[in-house]
Amino acid sequence: MSHVILVLAAARPDATRPRVQWPKRMQLPENVCPTTPEAATWDPSSLNCLQHHPNRINICRSEWPRDAIMGEQYPSVTQCALLAAGFKVLLFPAYKSTDFEVHRNWLAITNSLPPWEWYYEKTSEWTLDYPPFFAYFEWVISQVAKLVDPSMVKIYNLNYDSWQTVYFQRFTVILTELLLVFALQLFIDSCHGAAKRAAHTAAISVILSPGLLIIDHIHFQYNGFLYGVLILSLVLAREKSGFLPSGLLFAGLLCLKHIYLYLAPAYFVFLLRAYCLSSKSVFRTQWLNCVKLGAGIAAIFGVAFGPFAAFGQIPQLLARLFPFSRGLCHAYWAPNIWAMYSFVDRVLIFVSPRLGLPVKSEALQSVTRGLVGDTAFAVLPDITPRMCFILTLLFQLIPLIKLFQRPTWDLFVGSVTLCGYASFLFGWHVHEKAILLVIMPFSLIALKDRRYLSAFRPLAVSGHVSLFPLLFTPAEFPIKTVYTIFWLVLFLMAFDRLAPASNRPRFFLMDRFSMVYIAVSIPLIAYCSLIHQMVFGETYEFLPLMFTSSYSAIGVVGSWIGFMVVYFTS
Amino acid sequence: MSGRPSPGHKPRRRNKAGDGHHLSNSEALVKAPAFPLASFFWPARGSVSQWELLPLILMVAAPFHQPRDLGTCIETDHETDQQTVSLWLGYHKPPPYGDYEAQRHWMEIATHLPISQWYFHDLQWWGLDYPPLTAYHSWLCGKIGSFINPEWFALYTSRGSDDADLKVFMRATVLVTEFLIYVPAVVVFTRRYSKLNGVANWSASMAILAILMQPATILIDHVHFQYNTAMLGLVVASMSSMLAGRFLWASVFFVAALGFKQMALYYALSVFSFLLGSCIFPRINVLKLFGIAAATIVSFGILLLPIVQGTLSDVKNGIVARPDLEEPPPFPIFAWLSDSLDRDAAYYPVVEQLVQMVHRVFPFARGLFEDKVANVWCSLNVVVKLHNYPTELLQKVSLLATLASILPPNLVLFFKPQKNLIPFAFATTAWGFFLFSYQVHEKSVLLPLLPMTLLLAGSHGLSREARSWIGFANMLGCWTMFPLLKRVDLQIPYAVLTLTWAYLLGLPPTSLSAYFQEGQGVMVQWATVMLHGAFYLAMVSWHIAEHFVRPPPGKPDLWVVANVGVGVVGFGLCYLWCFYRLLVEAGFISQMIPTVSKKDKAKQNR
Repeated sequence: MSHVILVLAAARPDATRPRVQWPKRMQLPENVCPTTPEAATWDPSSLNCLQHHPNRINICRSEWPRDAIMGEQYPSVTQCALLAAGFKVLLFPAYKSTDFEVHRNWLAITNSLPPWEWYYEKTSEWTLDYPPFFAYFEWVISQVAKLVDPSMVKIYNLNYDSWQTVYFQRFTVILTELLLVFALQLFIDSCHGAAKRAAHTAAISVILSPGLLIIDHIHFQYNGFLYGVLILSLVLAREKSGFLPSGLLFAGLLCLKHIYLYLAPAYFVFLLRAYCLSSKSVFRTQWLNCVKLGAGIAAIFGVAFGPFAAFGQIPQLLARLFPFSRGLCHAYWAPNIWAMYSFVDRVLIFVSPRLGLPVKSEALQSVTRGLVGDTAFAVLPDITPRMCFILTLLFQLIPLIKLFQRPTWDLFVGSVTLCGYASFLFGWHVHEKAILLVIMPFSLIALKDRRYLSAFRPLAVSGHVSLFPLLFTPAEFPIKTVYTIFWLVLFLMAFDRLAPASNRPRFFLMDRFSMVYIAVSIPLIAYCSLIHQMVFGETYEFLPLMFTSSYSAIGVVGSWIGFMVVYFTS
Repeated sequence: MSGRPSPGHKPRRRNKAGDGHHLSNSEALVKAPAFPLASFFWPARGSVSQWELLPLILMVAAPFHQPRDLGTCIETDHETDQQTVSLWLGYHKPPPYGDYEAQRHWMEIATHLPISQWYFHDLQWWGLDYPPLTAYHSWLCGKIGSFINPEWFALYTSRGSDDADLKVFMRATVLVTEFLIYVPAVVVFTRRYSKLNGVANWSASMAILAILMQPATILIDHVHFQYNTAMLGLVVASMSSMLAGRFLWASVFFVAALGFKQMALYYALSVFSFLLGSCIFPRINVLKLFGIAAATIVSFGILLLPIVQGTLSDVKNGIVARPDLEEPPPFPIFAWLSDSLDRDAAYYPVVEQLVQMVHRVFPFARGLFEDKVANVWCSLNVVVKLHNYPTELLQKVSLLATLASILPPNLVLFFKPQKNLIPFAFATTAWGFFLFSYQVHEKSVLLPLLPMTLLLAGSHGLSREARSWIGFANMLGCWTMFPLLKRVDLQIPYAVLTLTWAYLLGLPPTSLSAYFQEGQGVMVQWATVMLHGAFYLAMVSWHIAEHFVRPPPGKPDLWVVANVGVGVVGFGLCYLWCFYRLLVEAGFISQMIPTVSKKDKAKQNR
């Protein structure tokens, strides 16, 4: 494995030498992809430098000069999408979560009721709690659905899952995912030179993502489509001319699913600085742009919420969209700070009698339950939504300051990623599915250079491993593990070959950390899926969940810290 | 994964030039992949070692092999609860369960009954009718399963069990068996065969994936339910031992294959001709011959030993093979034996046991063909009502026709026991058996398809000509199994798996790229296109007709019969092609088609 070589290289004595400052001409401009074919022909003087610099050792290992010349990349995005689609069709009869019924119910609601009753309907417990555009989207689908199986769109038909329903709904997921494929193709086209190859690999890694496979095609949701919109919007922001469409598209995305509000600060700052304010001075406003953007966004929100506002339903709609009554942690343990917090709390229960700390007895009840629904902490202080909100915002603002100073595309995607991180790590009632909020934008820049990659690696492992508890049926166990391991091996290997060396020194601790971290995942998966059941049977079933989420939390937090450093030092 | 080995690292073994570790010049110069499978392997050209590629290949193949219990949702929706399990195989209608229940039931028998009763126990309910290795395998799976949940295989009460976890377990046993036997055998065979033919590793890796993704095998074993890959894997292991020159192992593996499923007999003559031929040509080697004979006999002995030994000890302990009968009836076959043998002799129970086993394994009493299967007899039956002829005559004709079709290829193999001919001869022989022999089942098409698909690893195996024919055979084979799969509502996996495979290999209906190549005679090219095109067209239109048009009331089986008719002609062509390729490879006839390789050579010489 080449990261073995990498670590070995890092362990060489010259790694401890004072860092060589790169000559100015070697530093590549921000917006130019760092590995253009021209860059392949190093001049002899820099070769000298190359041998001494620990980071540069790897550059001769990747063979991009040869392939960078070639125009076409294989396998093409279309080929991958086709093969993946075939595989996903085979998954039609696989386990499906309640989300399947949720979406079927929404089909029924939007099809059989007039819009002003959509957000009041509550025959099923799975009420409509996505913003209006998604409801419109469901309405469009339901027009076809009622032709496929009219019983599917009956509100009273709770838990209806005829095979037509299953096939139809699963098929719409595959079909709408084409938007993601399209967005990724645009992303590849927007890259030039050798970076195109890296972008190509990154795009394929997103198409074949085990996260999407598990969440969308087994568990059931429409994330492929939604992230397609997000990536499309991110790619559009690459060109100056695309700022406005990008912003409007993101506004549309917010009206599809409000979880993307977590990423909105990055968009706000980026568009404010790069589009609304003059590139020369912060104090000069581009009024025309402001008007265009403002009017566009207002129009989009008007189309989405206007009809409901006309009926005076906005309070009801907001109550549906933002149910603050839910607990801190979701029923499963999303691998974030709060998972670590509750893990520490659980440990403290056993330790605190010796330390003389008070233990709240009523909280102990939830310990036996294991799954943290409404978390009450036994030793540590309780967490309020307000604290979560403040922490999230705080950690979102820090990277945004840098973005405001230098609104480049790379920093923009980086700050979107960091906003995703902050919301995932500190948010209230975070579901582990939200990890895609981090992985997806990060995938676009993970191959920028090796430092980005080393921050991405633990995220890729932990983010996907943390999704495992979503599928608990034995039949899906081989698929989720084999496919995820396949993806990790293939793409971590490919990324390793493709990521160019950075022009800044790496921190070697990070590489070691990620090596050890990745290695630990194997016994962990084995324990959680096999050994635990054999040793304890049905008892202590919260243990595997807790281990998985604590493990994943370490990875996510580690990669967050790593990426923060990369972000602020690049 | 590094393109260049790190400075301190020395490759363990330096390969001789041209042994296929690196791409040959002509391949490296190819600008674009010729078919999608090649594009998926495109990034791995040249620098990636096979040991990095192999795990990835297996991990790709595995999820496709795990049909995620296509039951759970499809089944319960269509049918009433009673028939739920039958969706695996509603083929044997009277008792409502199919192969799944048969396999489960054998695990139940094997774990609970004394060994001497295995072949006698309640034959009406899925009595054991496979050779002993299947029974041992069932015993092992049953033991493991009972460890997890004893109710799955409880005697009598577990019959027709519809437990969801049990299904997962049963599926898992197929997958594990396949990955323990079939997959290693295919990998090793492909490595050896491609090395023998000087094929690059990169191409060999593609061939491995193509072979493992072969739709017919996946459909029958994993989507339907059977353990064919265990038998096929042992056959491949035997073939691969022949390639390696380990003839004793070859015979051991082949006996094991026979011991798993008697269907392996399709290959028996080829195994025999090759092993015998290699003892005689180029010079006679008696020692080798005796070695092979001894290995065969000893492995048969080991195969039967548990049964024989178990029977003897059961007799000693007073356990009767058939407790339900007072007086043991005469043997069902070899009736003369029961008269001439002493019923009280110590060996009698053993003989009784073995005769019963043979009787169960080879159901001579059944007809010439059972269901609608694309072989000669079944299709001939449409024209000439074969039931009007005496069974004796039909059996003889069938035997003669089979011999006539399989002797020529085996004579070639016998006189020219060259290693590269093995898959060709195996494929031709198995096609002959499939087309002409007695008691053929649709699923038997897996047997000729296997060696034919293995040809993908041979020289020019991924060339357009080979790909088009191998692909044609596979697509046709899957298509003839469609009625079988449809009966259990497996149309979707059928469509996805076959189309995926066709797509990967650039075959119709997804692409015509396999047919238009440079350097081939225009006539030959168009002839192949027309020929295959006609069949593909027939298959597609058949699917459309079958789906939308209801057969006339007088002929409810119209579509199945049409399927059989088209299938048998296509399989006949496959037989001829394999035989033709065998003759060409053996050097008996020169290739009629000017191949690309000659041109390449000419170019390289220049």
